[in-house]
Amino acid sequence: MAAWERVVIAVSMVVFVALLALAFTVGALGYRAPPPTLRDLAEVYLRTTFNSDNPLFSAMAPEAVTAIVWDYRGLDTLFETAVFFLAIIASVALMRGVSLPRKEVGPAAGMSPIVKTVTKITIGMILAVAASIAFHGHLTPGGGFQGGATAAVAPLIALVVFSVYFLEHAGVTKNRMLGLRSAGLLGVGLTAFLVLAASIVSGVQAYVLQNQPKPTAPIGMPSIVDGAIFGGTLLLFNIFEALAVAAGFTLVFLLLAIPEEEALKVTTGGEHAH
Amino acid sequence: MPISPDSYLFNLLIMTLFANLAISLYGVLARPSLVKKVIALTIFSDTANTFAIVVGYRLWPKPSEPPIPPVITRIPPTREYIEEFAARAVDPLPQALVLTAIVIGLAVTLFLVFLTLQIYRLYRTTDVRKIAKLRG
Repeated sequence: MAAWERVVIAVSMVVFVALLALAFTVGALGYRAPPPTLRDLAEVYLRTTFNSDNPLFSAMAPEAVTAIVWDYRGLDTLFETAVFFLAIIASVALMRGVSLPRKEVGPAAGMSPIVKTVTKITIGMILAVAASIAFHGHLTPGGGFQGGATAAVAPLIALVVFSVYFLEHAGVTKNRMLGLRSAGLLGVGLTAFLVLAASIVSGVQAYVLQNQPKPTAPIGMPSIVDGAIFGGTLLLFNIFEALAVAAGFTLVFLLLAIPEEEALKVTTGGEHAH
Repeated sequence: MPISPDSYLFNLLIMTLFANLAISLYGVLARPSLVKKVIALTIFSDTANTFAIVVGYRLWPKPSEPPIPPVITRIPPTREYIEEFAARAVDPLPQALVLTAIVIGLAVTLFLVFLTLQIYRLYRTTDVRKIAKLRG
């Protein structure tokens, strides 16, 4: 890169920061730090997230963030899930034709016995924490996305400490992860139509992605079952999203762990070359 | 605008985020290596996420009362509790946007890593100046 190009980039970055800072100081970003009161939209979310006095406008979930993610702005999240799905599928498509060679590995493969024993213990703990993050998402901070990303750490550690062949032998294969991820996405899709399906059976009006009863659609998921807060569709969404995210990330980690020679065979020549 | 100590520190934090944005953008634009571009891009998205979270923060309602997370902890909430909750909780919307942005950002980063890996396998370089000159 020529010297003048570097100068142009550096100067434009300085101008960028100076303009942003100027806009911020004169209040052009619409924001003074920190604001003493919240924006009106945030007030609406906070007042209606669990409000028994106003059940027709409430999400009936004590966790406002999860309520926004899957109830107030459920459609946004559905499309964000689509972006996630496309990024994973694009990674799989880039590695098409590349597969793990069959190889038997003995118990000596991987790292030392100390690391393996500690990993066996921690994998259980990671999965327990992930399940608690995902399945309590409607009650405590957390949800399907965070729980799924946490759960995906467990196979990643197993991949490093044992080996990719060990995981393959244990049943964590590319096709199974694809299937699990598709099952999770299917579950998210079906949950979006759950209340609508119930409304067709009972003959009243309802909307896609509806959770609680609304003024013109008097049907919804139960929010409290037997005294326990269930969050309506939020719990189902969280479970299926955690499944899809965990399986999707595991799938990509498995593909990244394929030996370089196998990938090179396909990329640079041979029978199945691009 | 008179400068109070708390807003001074907040402004300092936000200016730091702006500077971080500029440095990571410089990395994306000026570094020739694709790997370094990806690293700079993750720094850029993390800075943007942090900025969104900071925007959702609020001033302490009273010097003895910090803001609380947007989670109702008393079930069922009384009317007074909801009033107090709305007066003290931080904005939940930026948090909701950032939590999905982080996971999707990770998926997109993994895709870019695959892309870089594939380019390296095909051309034996991640230098965009050399890749741009390749023919065929």
